[in-house]
Amino acid sequence: MIPIPNHRSKTTRRLVVFLSVVLVVLFLLSLMVGRFEINLSDIGAMISAFFSGSVVAEDLVSKQLVFWWIRLPRCIMAVLVGMGLSVSGAVYQALFRNPLVSPDILGVAAGCTFGAALGLVLPGYNFSLVHILSFGFGLAAVAMAVGIARLISVKPMIVLVLAGMVVMSFFNALLMVLKYFSDPFDELPSIVFWIMGSLTRVTWNDLMVIAPVTGAGLACFMLLRFRLNILSLGDIQSKSLGMNPAVFRSVFIVASSFIVAMTVATCGQICWIGLIIPHMARTLVGPEHERMLPVTALLGAIFLLGADGAARSVSSAEIPVGIITALTGAPIFGYLLYKNRGSGWL
Amino acid sequence: MAVILECNSLGFRYGKTQILQDISFDVEPGLFYAILGKNGSGKTTLLHCLNGILKPGVGCVEIGGRNIAALSRKEIARHISLVPQEHMDVFPFKVLDVVVMGRAPFLGMTATPKEEDYRLAMDALEMLGCEKLANCNFNRISGGERQITLLATALVQTSKIMLLDEPTNHLDFNNQYRLLSQIKGLCRTRKTSVIATMHDPNMAMLFADRVIMVKNGRIVAKGNARETMTTTNIDTLYGIKTVEIGNRDNKHFFLPESAFADPDIDGGA
Repeated sequence: MIPIPNHRSKTTRRLVVFLSVVLVVLFLLSLMVGRFEINLSDIGAMISAFFSGSVVAEDLVSKQLVFWWIRLPRCIMAVLVGMGLSVSGAVYQALFRNPLVSPDILGVAAGCTFGAALGLVLPGYNFSLVHILSFGFGLAAVAMAVGIARLISVKPMIVLVLAGMVVMSFFNALLMVLKYFSDPFDELPSIVFWIMGSLTRVTWNDLMVIAPVTGAGLACFMLLRFRLNILSLGDIQSKSLGMNPAVFRSVFIVASSFIVAMTVATCGQICWIGLIIPHMARTLVGPEHERMLPVTALLGAIFLLGADGAARSVSSAEIPVGIITALTGAPIFGYLLYKNRGSGWL
Repeated sequence: MAVILECNSLGFRYGKTQILQDISFDVEPGLFYAILGKNGSGKTTLLHCLNGILKPGVGCVEIGGRNIAALSRKEIARHISLVPQEHMDVFPFKVLDVVVMGRAPFLGMTATPKEEDYRLAMDALEMLGCEKLANCNFNRISGGERQITLLATALVQTSKIMLLDEPTNHLDFNNQYRLLSQIKGLCRTRKTSVIATMHDPNMAMLFADRVIMVKNGRIVAKGNARETMTTTNIDTLYGIKTVEIGNRDNKHFFLPESAFADPDIDGGA
C-alpha cells in the first residue's frame, strides 16, 4: 500500500490552536487598551463582582461602565464581524470562482450605505431607522442583482457578477444624489463618517441581533465547507459530481448577504477583510476549504480586533477602523500577490 | 447482452435552436463508445443530456431501466461520471484533493472526506500509474497529467459508466494513445462503459468498440466500429472526401483527400 501523502491536516490543527490562543490573548489585551485604562486586576475585580453581585470599589465604577457597556460588546463585535466578513469573502471567492471577489460584490454594501444615508437625511433622525433602512436596502440590492441574473439566465456566475456591478453603481449613484442634496454642515459629514466603518456605535442590542445571524451563517458555511471545493470547480463538474449548484449558491448567497448587511448596517463599510484574509489563509494552509475556512475565521477575528485596538489607541481621537483596515490591507494584499506568484492561483 | 444505459429518441433545444433530434442508442457494459461529429454537431450537448446536466425536451435516458429524470442528481452521480475537458482551476488544489472530490456523491451533505476516502483516491491514482502526482499542485502539472487526474476523479466516483468530453484535447501525440489505452483498459478490467466524444476518426477506429456518428443533431450512422467506419459514412459526417490510407489488424485509417492535393499556396515553386 502506498501511504497517503501528508495533506497538512496536522499542521492545520496546530495552526488553529495557535491562532485561537493568539485570539484569546488579543481579546484580553484589547479589553484593556483605549482612552480609559483598565488593567487585568480591574477586569478580574469587575468579573468577580458581577458574579457575586457585590458592588465594586468606588474608583472602579466608571471603569466598570466603560468595560461592560462599551469595550466588551465592541470587542465581541470585532470578533464576530471579522469572522463574518472574512469567511463570507472566502465563500464568495469559491462560489464565483474568482479570487478577486469580496462579499460586497453583489451590491450588498452599496445598498446598505444608501439605506443608511437615506435614514440620516430623512427628517426625524432615528438611529434604529438608519439601521433598518440600511439592512433592508442591502438585502434589496442583492435581490435585485440575483433577479437581474435570473432574467438573463445564461452563464449564471459571470452574469451574477455583472448584475452586482450594475446594482452597485445604481446605488452609488443614488447615494451621490443624497449627498448632493444633503445639508453640507450637518448631514453630509454624518453620511461620510457613517460610511467609514467603525465599531464605536456597537451596543449590546446590536450584538443580540448580529450574534445569532453571524453564528448561524458561519455554522452553515463550516458544515458545507467540502461542498465549496466542488462548487469551485464550476457548474458542470459539480452537477456531474451529484450536486445542485444553484441550490447551494442560493444558500451561500442568502447567508452571507445577511451577515454582510447586518455588519454594514451597524458598523459601516470595513474594507479589505473579505478580500485579503481568505488569501492569507490560503497562503498558510492551501485552498481546500475544509482546512482554510477555520483559519480564515480566526485570522479575520484577529485582524479586526487588532485593527480596532489600533484605532482606539494610536491617537487621542479615535480613527475609524475602516481606514486602518484599508491602510494595512492594501500592502498586505500586495505582499501576498508577490509571495504567491508561483503557486498558480493567478 | 445486458443494456446498462438506454437513450430513447432524445431531443434537445436551446431556445429555438434544435440541437439534438431523435437520438437513440443502447450502451452495453464494458464497451467503448465513440461519438463522432463536426464541431457544433451537438456531441457535448448529448453527453450532458446523458447524465442529466441538461434536461432533454423530448425522449429520455434510462440507466438500469430507470429514467434518470426521476433520479436525484446524487443517484445519477453514483452511476455515471464525467471527465470534463482538461482545464486549469481557480484555486491551486493538490492533485489528491481534486481526486478525492470524486467521493462527493457518497458523502453526506455536511461531511468532509475521511482517511478511507483519501485511500480510495490514492488507489485510483495508483491504478493509473500516477500516484507520484498526489502531492502536486493541479495547476502546475502538464496537460496530460491534469487529464489523468480528472480521469482518476471520475474513477473514484464510479466506473460503471464514464462520459468523456474530448479526452485527448490538448494532449501530445504519445499522451493521447497512453490515455486512451488506459481508458480502454478500464473497459476490459472493470467492465466500464465508456462514452467519449472524439475528433479523430482514426483514434475512434483504434480504441472504440462502437461508434455513433452525429451530424446536425441527428445520428447518421452507428454500430460496430470496423463496420461503421467507412469512407462513405465519414464523407457524409464531415462533408468532405476521404480516402482509406491503410489497414492493419482489420482496422482501417483515413485521411481527407485534400491532404494529398498539391497545396497551391506557394505558387508551385
